[in-house]
Amino acid sequence: MPEKKNKNIFNRLRAFNKKHAIGVPFILLVVSTVLFFSLQTNVFESGTIGRLTNSNFRTWLPVLLLTMGQALVLIGGGLDLSNGSIVSVGNVILALHVTSTDEPWHNLAIVALVIGFGLAAGFLNGILTVYLGLQPVIVTFATSYIYAGLALLLLPSPGGAIPREYTNYYRNTHYLGIPISLIILIVFLLIWEFFRLRKYGCFLYAVGGNPKAAYTTGVPVTWMKISTYILSGFLASLGAISYSLLTGSGFSGSGADMMLPSITGAIIGGVSFSGGSGSLLGAIFGGIVLGNIRRIISIAKVDSWAVTLINALVILFALAAPGFINLLRRKK
Amino acid sequence: MSTYQTDGLSMENLCLKTIEIKKRFGGVRALIDGSIEVREGEVLALVGSNGSGKSTLAKIITGVLDQDYGQINYFDQQVKFSNPMAAQKAGVMAVYQDLSLVPSLTVAQNIWLANEPLTKAGFIDNQSMHTATNKLLALFENTFQASLHPEATVSTLPPDEKQIVEILKAVSRDPKLIIFDEATASLDSNQVNCLFNVIKQLKQDKKALVFISHRMDEIFRIADRAVVLRNGRTVGDALISTTNEKAIVKMMVGSEEIFEKDSAAFVDLSQSGTALVVENVENAKLKNVSFSIKQGELVGVGGLRGQGQSALLHTLFGNEPYTGQILLFNKTINFKHPKDAMGENVAFIPGDRATEGLLMIRSILENFHLPNWRKYAKPLLNLNQAKNDAKKAGQQLNLVMDSLESPITNLSGGNAQKVVIGKWLLRNPSFLLLDDPTKGVDVGTKAEFYQLLNELTRSGTTILFYSSDDQELLDLCPRVLVMQDGSIKADLFDEFLTEENLIAASMGAHETVSNNEEYVHA
Repeated sequence: MPEKKNKNIFNRLRAFNKKHAIGVPFILLVVSTVLFFSLQTNVFESGTIGRLTNSNFRTWLPVLLLTMGQALVLIGGGLDLSNGSIVSVGNVILALHVTSTDEPWHNLAIVALVIGFGLAAGFLNGILTVYLGLQPVIVTFATSYIYAGLALLLLPSPGGAIPREYTNYYRNTHYLGIPISLIILIVFLLIWEFFRLRKYGCFLYAVGGNPKAAYTTGVPVTWMKISTYILSGFLASLGAISYSLLTGSGFSGSGADMMLPSITGAIIGGVSFSGGSGSLLGAIFGGIVLGNIRRIISIAKVDSWAVTLINALVILFALAAPGFINLLRRKK
Repeated sequence: MSTYQTDGLSMENLCLKTIEIKKRFGGVRALIDGSIEVREGEVLALVGSNGSGKSTLAKIITGVLDQDYGQINYFDQQVKFSNPMAAQKAGVMAVYQDLSLVPSLTVAQNIWLANEPLTKAGFIDNQSMHTATNKLLALFENTFQASLHPEATVSTLPPDEKQIVEILKAVSRDPKLIIFDEATASLDSNQVNCLFNVIKQLKQDKKALVFISHRMDEIFRIADRAVVLRNGRTVGDALISTTNEKAIVKMMVGSEEIFEKDSAAFVDLSQSGTALVVENVENAKLKNVSFSIKQGELVGVGGLRGQGQSALLHTLFGNEPYTGQILLFNKTINFKHPKDAMGENVAFIPGDRATEGLLMIRSILENFHLPNWRKYAKPLLNLNQAKNDAKKAGQQLNLVMDSLESPITNLSGGNAQKVVIGKWLLRNPSFLLLDDPTKGVDVGTKAEFYQLLNELTRSGTTILFYSSDDQELLDLCPRVLVMQDGSIKADLFDEFLTEENLIAASMGAHETVSNNEEYVHA
């Protein structure tokens, strides 16, 4: 009877994939990870895999946090182009004001300030989008420049130094052999799972799927939409903290390159641009796939213009795949 | 508590009273005096032509829209529901015509949205949601396909099953007042029977019910009282037990005449050639479909809902791939895209005007000319000519509008449907496909529409006309193809075209139907 059991598992997997649409991102995740490790020369030496995992995830964590936020906004039917700039502001504030370990309470207050800024920036995005009835692309594109300008105002040229004690803790701490960056990621996915299985999750997917229907059914659509931008801002501020701990210094353009990957990762991960579908786990898979591709390219020593080109092709492929499939069906 | 006595009805508490509700959309006065009363345990039919303000009034009561003026009393308390959430909390629910379902969610998720059963820890209780959904679905047992189950995604369901989900959603909230806004428009007769059983039960449970419908027989079957709206005003109020259809129709249309079957209007086809031959056409939704139509013929397509009627029309318009042969005016065709069909002067008038027929945010003029702009590019756009043509078409169709520039959303359902029809008529099609175009259209507009179809056939246009309204097919078409499960079950005309035969064929009965083989393959 093993055959029957197999079939059962296969059917279950299929049902799971149909519900969460993470089959393709998961396959891409496995393929890109295997490819990445196979390109390493000394992969079977003890500690190599652990070292590489740590160095990957501590580098990716900022973008992956942004990807989670972006996925929430996209599922709710919006778009956040300002999350990168929120990272820049947070990074600059931390680099300027967290310079010694002598005053932990002061440092904690600065961290709280950064998180507060993320929440406030997200709230502003949400309010402008929902109450002015403007396209989220326009609103968050505009606010991204406001936040980027603020970062530049605070720190015109790169500088600042975050104490080694803090950065070392982020870069090299393991619990049970798992790097802290990966633990943080898993914790946030679990927290999200807690909310997804409650009313909040139901409402979010309903609002993204058809806001008018959700409204007439009694879902607080306005508040739901604003909340996704607030969460995106919050996760961006955490992205700023982890990025600052990674680099140890401040740069007013630090988050500029994170916005696009946050969208691409979510889309590769099965989150739809039109809202109402996809999952945060898928988005994380998508973000990791994107990270692996970058690593593979850098190992292959391709020119930097080719890196941009390949990234663009990945985005195009991720966005166009459903359309292409429909077109092929039609031609038949 | 105020109570009042009317003949034939017991004294019951007044549930809802609206007093002189007014509402304006831009320049259009949708509602001038919306005044209704409904008591507990009563079914009030709200009738009126399209654009008479029924839906607007329903939306104001449920808090989707704000009234400009007027008062709503709910159990003798003056209320104003600022949003649907507040109305629901007070026990007011509506089953909407433009469905309020989220297509990407499952049936269970939609029914329990914003009313989810929770576990003690505050998580969604999927198990009890599933069970409760199955219980609700049992109310419509045996009237839907197996594909309708609690975990089915709503976007995959046909319109009638979506409507069932919508009804169950309202019922599941155990409200004190339910408004059914055209809830039967996409249901077949078995499903309507189930709905009526549900309504009877609700009535026994002392719920107040408002039933909005264009189908007169349904109103007489289920309602206790009828209130008639005309052009945004409450114009009449009648007890169903003491009135008749004619009296209500008279109130609805004012002085307008009502269409009656006119055999003299049928075109003599003995001299015309063949317009369309369909041979063994098959695809996902069609099974071995063969028939032929003569030029200038008006052929109806009937049967229960979702038996492949729309698929047949879409296939003929190049919207769905197929195997088999189709000859149009003695020419083999193989449309791969609607524009191929348009090139051969085929026009398709969809039933779902909001999604398939109109660009909701654009003006009336732009909607009129959407398939026609090419004609006016010489090489610059001749806007004056376009406007004149649109105006003429509007007059021809008796279109009531502010101006050609106002957005299409300002028009009522019936008038909007006229634009959908008008935009194709401007192309002078030689072959016209109609996909249930009169769904939710009022009696007056329907009469105008029937006249138009007769005029078109007289001028040589061939028409294939799907309708979910059996009476309409019998009144209008000299010949009806009845479909069941993707194939044509009967080809009815002359003395065989009777209501009994039509219904029997729709239900798949064989003995009652007689086909004329010679005619089919003419």
